[in-house]
Amino acid sequence: MRIPCPFCGERGNAEFSYLGDAAPVRPDPKAGMAAFYDYVYTRDNPPGMIREWWQHVGGCRAWLVVERNVTTHEIAKATAASALAQGTREMAR
Amino acid sequence: MSDAIGHAGPVGSGSGAEAPERAARVTPNSPVAGAARVQPFRMIAGGQIERRPLSFGFDGKQYQGFAGDTLASALLANGVRLVGRSFKYHRPRGILSAGPEEPNALVELRDGARREPNTRATVAELYDGLVARSQNRWPSLRFDLMAVNSLAAPILGAGFYYKTFMWPAAFWEKVYEPMIRRAAGLGRAAGAPDPDLYEKATAFCDVLVVGGGPAGLAAALAAGRSGARVILATEDFVLGGRLVSEQREIGGQSGPAFAASVEAELASLPEVRILRRAGVFGVYDGGTYAALERVNDHVALPPPHEPRQRLWRIVAKRCVLAAGAIERPVVFADNDRPGVMLAGAVRTYLNRFAVRPGSRAVLFGNNDDALRTARDLQDSGVTVAAVVDPRPDALSSLDMLSRETGTRLVEGVVERALGSRAVQGAEIRDARGEAITVPCDLIAVSGGWQPTVHLTSHLGGRPEWASALASFVPGTLPPGMAVVGAARGDFALASCLADGIRAGSDAAAAAGFHPRSVTIPSADAESTAVTPLWRVKAAKGKAFVDFQNDVSASDVEIAHREGFVAVEHLKRYTTLGMATDQGKTANVNGLALMAELTGRSVPATGTTRFRPPFTPVAFAAFAGPHRGKNYRPTRLTAAHGWAVEHNAVFMEAGLWLRAQYFPHTGDKGWRDACDREVLAVRERVGLCDVSTLGKIEVVGTDAGTFLDRLYTNTMSSLPVGRVRYGIMLREDGFVMDDGTAARLEPQRYLVTTTTANAVAVMSHMEFAAQVLWPDLDVALASVTDQWAQFAVAGPRSRDVLAAVLRSDADLANEGFPFMGAMATALRDGTPARLFRISFSGELAYEIAVAANYGDGLARTLMAAGAAHGIMPYGLEALNVLRIEKGHAATGELNGQTTAGDLGLGRMVSTKKDFVGAAMTQRPALVDPDRWALVGFRPVNPQDPIGAGAHLLRPGAENKSRNDEGHVTSTCFSPTLGSTIALGLLRRGPQRLGERVRAYDPVRGRDTLVEVCAPVFVDPEGVRLRG
Amino acid sequence: MADLALPDMSPWAGLWRRGRFGHALGEPGLDIAESERGSMALMSARRGRTPDLARAAQDLGLTLPGPRAWTQDRGFVVLSTAPDQWLVRGPGSFSELAAGLEPLAPFAAVIDQSHARAVLTLSGPRLRDALAKGFEIDLHPRTFRPGDVAVTVVAGVSAILWQIDERPTFEVAVPRSMAGSFWHWLSESAAEYGYRVSTHDA
Repeated sequence: MRIPCPFCGERGNAEFSYLGDAAPVRPDPKAGMAAFYDYVYTRDNPPGMIREWWQHVGGCRAWLVVERNVTTHEIAKATAASALAQGTREMAR
Repeated sequence: MSDAIGHAGPVGSGSGAEAPERAARVTPNSPVAGAARVQPFRMIAGGQIERRPLSFGFDGKQYQGFAGDTLASALLANGVRLVGRSFKYHRPRGILSAGPEEPNALVELRDGARREPNTRATVAELYDGLVARSQNRWPSLRFDLMAVNSLAAPILGAGFYYKTFMWPAAFWEKVYEPMIRRAAGLGRAAGAPDPDLYEKATAFCDVLVVGGGPAGLAAALAAGRSGARVILATEDFVLGGRLVSEQREIGGQSGPAFAASVEAELASLPEVRILRRAGVFGVYDGGTYAALERVNDHVALPPPHEPRQRLWRIVAKRCVLAAGAIERPVVFADNDRPGVMLAGAVRTYLNRFAVRPGSRAVLFGNNDDALRTARDLQDSGVTVAAVVDPRPDALSSLDMLSRETGTRLVEGVVERALGSRAVQGAEIRDARGEAITVPCDLIAVSGGWQPTVHLTSHLGGRPEWASALASFVPGTLPPGMAVVGAARGDFALASCLADGIRAGSDAAAAAGFHPRSVTIPSADAESTAVTPLWRVKAAKGKAFVDFQNDVSASDVEIAHREGFVAVEHLKRYTTLGMATDQGKTANVNGLALMAELTGRSVPATGTTRFRPPFTPVAFAAFAGPHRGKNYRPTRLTAAHGWAVEHNAVFMEAGLWLRAQYFPHTGDKGWRDACDREVLAVRERVGLCDVSTLGKIEVVGTDAGTFLDRLYTNTMSSLPVGRVRYGIMLREDGFVMDDGTAARLEPQRYLVTTTTANAVAVMSHMEFAAQVLWPDLDVALASVTDQWAQFAVAGPRSRDVLAAVLRSDADLANEGFPFMGAMATALRDGTPARLFRISFSGELAYEIAVAANYGDGLARTLMAAGAAHGIMPYGLEALNVLRIEKGHAATGELNGQTTAGDLGLGRMVSTKKDFVGAAMTQRPALVDPDRWALVGFRPVNPQDPIGAGAHLLRPGAENKSRNDEGHVTSTCFSPTLGSTIALGLLRRGPQRLGERVRAYDPVRGRDTLVEVCAPVFVDPEGVRLRG
Repeated sequence: MADLALPDMSPWAGLWRRGRFGHALGEPGLDIAESERGSMALMSARRGRTPDLARAAQDLGLTLPGPRAWTQDRGFVVLSTAPDQWLVRGPGSFSELAAGLEPLAPFAAVIDQSHARAVLTLSGPRLRDALAKGFEIDLHPRTFRPGDVAVTVVAGVSAILWQIDERPTFEVAVPRSMAGSFWHWLSESAAEYGYRVSTHDA
């Protein structure tokens, strides 16, 4: 697979490390045990296009959200976590 | 200037090989030329070979061939047709094909450490001094005692292994398997390390063209002329594909001349790269392809510094697959006899190699393409005794030949090949049912062509059945791939060329280039009509479907009878399509036979999909340069050379090499060194290179807050110039790693990690900084390589450091107490960082300098410490020292322990959020019955305890339900003169003084031990504060 | 210990000798030399302060390059290595480099990396062929040019590679601890073409 790192350009997947589903969001610290349980353990594992965490450990070390079709391995897009955070901040304004 | 291909090249217009001059009517034993006697089946002229003699050996006998030969063509030129024995029945086998699909002619190539088993003689390029041996025979190829397997054939059929060797199971490993391995097998591995170099390389291109035949050449030229970066990869050592194997005419040129002129133009285009001897064997996601370039397989020894093989990873925007097609045999009785050969291969040997594969031939086919073989044989001086074709009126085109030469034209089938070690005749049955026996030494057979669709299905694409062609054609293609020519079932030369030009242009355009128009050259007309014929039934003889696995038509019948009708079951039950050829000549026939048996169509019966590699690839090629100690990179500390000079024995710690211990002359073992080093630290002073511990600088206005969220304890309150021990949890509440954080400046911390977890902790911290809390102002950098760091530990450590640090450095307890950190300098002004931290429990420091000074610092400390009896110590001593102090390390930080388990519960803040804070409160993680860290001393101090030993109550049965924990770390403490251990015991801290058993069935021990506090030496911590 | 003077030991120490190695005929395919050691710092923009940092750098006469690029101004080489992060190389000691970057301190974190990486200068007609044996990035002149940087992995070793000129000349920086493994890979990959080490014996 080749992943289009938004900073380094397209690279082979050997330069990246995989974390997993990017859907779970760390709950508010006061959200309670059940919310953290879901965050840590519960995954949907759907077929088709999903968003995943990958880190470009062999390059810029950016954490990326990669939109990947887990059935066909097609990769639609990769976005840096920092860019997503910026987007969230801007939307909040 | 014409833009037709084959004419516009700046180099090769009209040049290239001459049309082969025929050597008709020269019989094998004719005394025409000396060469003919040496190579009795070589024609005196023609072929795409250089008449430069090469000598080679086969089974100990010397022969001569020519440059441009394959081993197969050279053997045939010498009349050698028996080249191997079959896998299971040890039947004599010859050469079936002239390409990568060869199932029979497998040999051991080269000898000694370079011996390569299962090499297909049909693709092994001949070189001077080549040595090959037939395989799978004993004691010799002609008299193979194992051929008795053939007599046992009735019991060796499909499913034989499963049925016969079912019981008793214990017999498998010791009796059946070795027996089967001896009787049925392929070649022998070298059994010695491969002395040659293997490389990996990566190439990028706009258009990858796979295959060097007419369609591939046309595609490469069309793409190349656009200026696109093109790679043309072909497994063969010459370009042309079928063009060099057939007597064809293109735009007035012979096939080889046309190929040569295209090649010359391709070579002149700066962005076109031709990879010869480079078979593309795999398709991977993202337009990535793998090819094996056999750089120096065609010479006796690779030249110095050159690899034998190079594994290419090719990243291509577009791919044009022009892989051609593979001819199918027809399944008839004894169709495996040496001398039965695919018709296309017969033409290759005649036209490309100027070799006669026989003297008197019977041609048997079901398609018009096969019929051209009759004329080529005739032109080459081989008698065509009969042409057999089941299609009514198919042979009328050969009437002229028949009249000229007396060739018998039979509407019918070949029912059986006669002969054993060589074909001696063909039993033919004509359309009226009459049996005819025709003496011959060659049966050229063709069941039609199967497009080489393998690469189209590597990403899961399912080939589709084309009934008009009686073959599978590509189905869903990998993204970016186009298929042209015979590989998509377009067998006519003219359309191969047109197809190639169009696909090459389209691929270049898709990659962003502007293709120029290319005129399609004309080719002579042809017919490729085919009528399916899979199997000819006969009363006796074995009819083979899969030659390499000895799978016969009756095996397919057994599979059918026993219900294994699905294609995957058929494969696994009969082994059809397995082994090194992966059924290239067998799969479709096997499927078609099963279809006949079930009364279904071929596509309803199943489809074969393929996985990489297309052809066998040696492990050495996949390993490339990464073998032995170069399997992965090694990290060395700056003072590695210093440790080497002190005779260190090294061990791997992740990628690092670390000194394990420093042996002295006269030591009886590592324990002597370890004990000596431990005592040096406890009594005087020791020096240990700790540069491998992960070091991360954390800088920013929010650095303290950031660390508060990663560690269980608070780091933001740490004063500048102080160090604090910390533990990090995973989000699930278990301990991830431990280390220290030093506050160097208000906004600059230096944190350390264990050597083992350094990489994981860095990624974890980056995830926290980039994903969890992107608003915090914090920058991270690994500085592990920047600093060389040494532990100077022991009661004399202060004196040693005082001698090397600049005079104003205050090391007194008041000015620089335990857990202090300072920036200072050595006497020569070299900046240094000094930390008063202790893993050993002694008065101890860690001192760091920029890495280039590390080697010098180690030597300086040794010199300064000489008067104090300083001694270098390694990981073994370090481990003993920390077990004596009850510090957790790898054995305890096993991913299943909580801070509470390790006695560090008081370090877990309940007042702040941090990674793992919520989950650490889970009931199971705070259960008072959890296994927790304690120490153990054997009742008899000299008794050893093994790490991993189970902890059981005295008298308890040795059952897992009685398990109360396990030993995590153990050593002999020279300080105490006793074995000591750390372990996790149910409610351990409440059971001090109790006796339990350390039960170690692996080492056969059962030791009575006493539970004690995990700190064995100086529990009050007086020494480290001294 | 009065005469203490620690030697500044090259990361490449003991790995090579000056001279011609590998394939012996014709011009060597590669020329290899240790780059000027100088100093190196990782400079990260403080959160949200990248524009301020760029302006402050401009005031110093430095251009902060965008992704995959490097610049050279006033004796500093600035390589873009990650989002909002640059590796700055200077000719003198780290303290001199840090002093030079002091005006940027309000907007950037600066971390000493002077000894963390071992740097080589590579050139020669077969350089790209040798690099292709380990670098899995496209170094064709159409896609990688002078002024370009790549942070990548070569034979398992993380590497920063940047192109100096069209000869072509590249510089490559690898972790100091892996200099030996990198050298093993490079020297083996270059041997087919012949290579010349022009730095004194390391």
